[in-house]
Amino acid sequence: MYVLKDEHISFILEDIRRNGIESEELQLDLLDHICCVIETEMLPDKNFDEFYRSIIPRFYKRELKEIQEETQLLLTFKNYYAMKKVMIMSGAFSAFTFIIGSLFKIMHWPGASVLLLTGIVFFCFLFLPILSILKVKEQKQSKDKLLIGIATIFAIVICLATLFKVMHWPFASMLWSCSLGILFFLFLPIYFFGGIRNPETKTNTIISSILILTAGGLLFILTNLRASHVTEEAVFNSDDQLLASYAYLSEQKNSDSLSENQQLLTKKADALCLKIENLKVGLIKSITPDGKEMVENEAIRLFSNKFDPVQSYLFAENGQASTELTSIKKDLAELQKLVQENSADKKCTLISTENIHRSDYNNQNLSWEEFYFKGLPMENVFRNFNQLLVNIRIVAISNN
Amino acid sequence: MYSSELVKGTLKTIILKLLSESDKMYGYEITQKVKDLTGGKIQLTEGALYPTLHAMEAQGILTTDVVNVGNRIRKYYSVTQTGKKVATEKVNEFSDFIDTMIFLLDLKPKMG
Repeated sequence: MYVLKDEHISFILEDIRRNGIESEELQLDLLDHICCVIETEMLPDKNFDEFYRSIIPRFYKRELKEIQEETQLLLTFKNYYAMKKVMIMSGAFSAFTFIIGSLFKIMHWPGASVLLLTGIVFFCFLFLPILSILKVKEQKQSKDKLLIGIATIFAIVICLATLFKVMHWPFASMLWSCSLGILFFLFLPIYFFGGIRNPETKTNTIISSILILTAGGLLFILTNLRASHVTEEAVFNSDDQLLASYAYLSEQKNSDSLSENQQLLTKKADALCLKIENLKVGLIKSITPDGKEMVENEAIRLFSNKFDPVQSYLFAENGQASTELTSIKKDLAELQKLVQENSADKKCTLISTENIHRSDYNNQNLSWEEFYFKGLPMENVFRNFNQLLVNIRIVAISNN
Repeated sequence: MYSSELVKGTLKTIILKLLSESDKMYGYEITQKVKDLTGGKIQLTEGALYPTLHAMEAQGILTTDVVNVGNRIRKYYSVTQTGKKVATEKVNEFSDFIDTMIFLLDLKPKMG
């Protein structure tokens, strides 16, 4: 048996490394194997170098590196199957929860938000990344890998933007614009100019680019989806009329001979109206960019869809009504009681603060403040405040 | 010597069967044992052996042991508990496969 010297072993190891075997595990395996072959098969009088050169070709067809490539292929193949399984499961799961969640949302059933949230989170953070990794692995050119990466980021951001919009979370519009920005200014140029150079892919690239552009354009239109201008303006005009009615009613002179109770009622109504007007001023200030005052009509036209600042002004994080709103509700209840005591209008529904039953809202009973102000954009909140102001005036005048 | 295509499909089965019958073996030992047992008819190539060994190790079918042999390190492979089950499954599957092939190719089993 030939006995290998330390220098022979170092030489073999070095040669293995030089030939592209980077995995240490594989280096050890091959080193021992080659040593075994030399020890058992080499005659003592043979030359080491010569013999080594003659046996090495046994290990490969073209080059030694093949063993490492084959090993890596087998190892990734195993992950590949596991990843594919997770991808399909997470994809199916998120699609299912998403569809059910949408149904719940449309029907106003409880649990819709949780379902939508789970569906989109699984889709964005499990399905899409795995899909992207698998697809990137399939591609050879770095340009295609980059494209898949950008497409994945676009898909994740637009899904999150949709989720944020549905959940009324902040920065939804920003995310939405970001995703479209990625699509139009990053993905599309790289895709288009990359594909158009190659005669084989030219036609397909042009057609796909047009489709992407159209689909992106449709999404862009959705960004600011609103009622038609005419309808919008008609609604604003009604708001103006409501404000005019209130102004007119507010200017009505009280008759001179008021009873004590009537005087009290008028005083209370005046105080309450002032309170509501102040709240409206505060609300407008919270919406305008630098917190400046603005005429109500103009503010409504400019910020009719404002949602978050209005809601956070009226309701705390835990959903509790703000002290201002609670105090208005309390005064309103007192006013109603006063009217009921002093007049024939025993119900006085115009300024009722009772809970309101909503058959279209999961048959829930909503509190007065939830019904009129919660989950509504600026224009609805202001319209309801103004209607309330008009109602208070009507009740006060009709009881004089 | 059989063609590499024939050996490739049964490589896992051969390795698992050999390893489950002995305590532990190293790469060269496996190739020699197969060569001896088959009278040189089946010769495992190193290019196929080590990738398969590493893949099976990653799958938890095999486990390795490192031993110093003189002036170098030798990696011994042995089957895990899961590996033993897989070995039985593989051998049974292959036996069934042979039966099917005998029937399919209408082969007369050699007597003796």
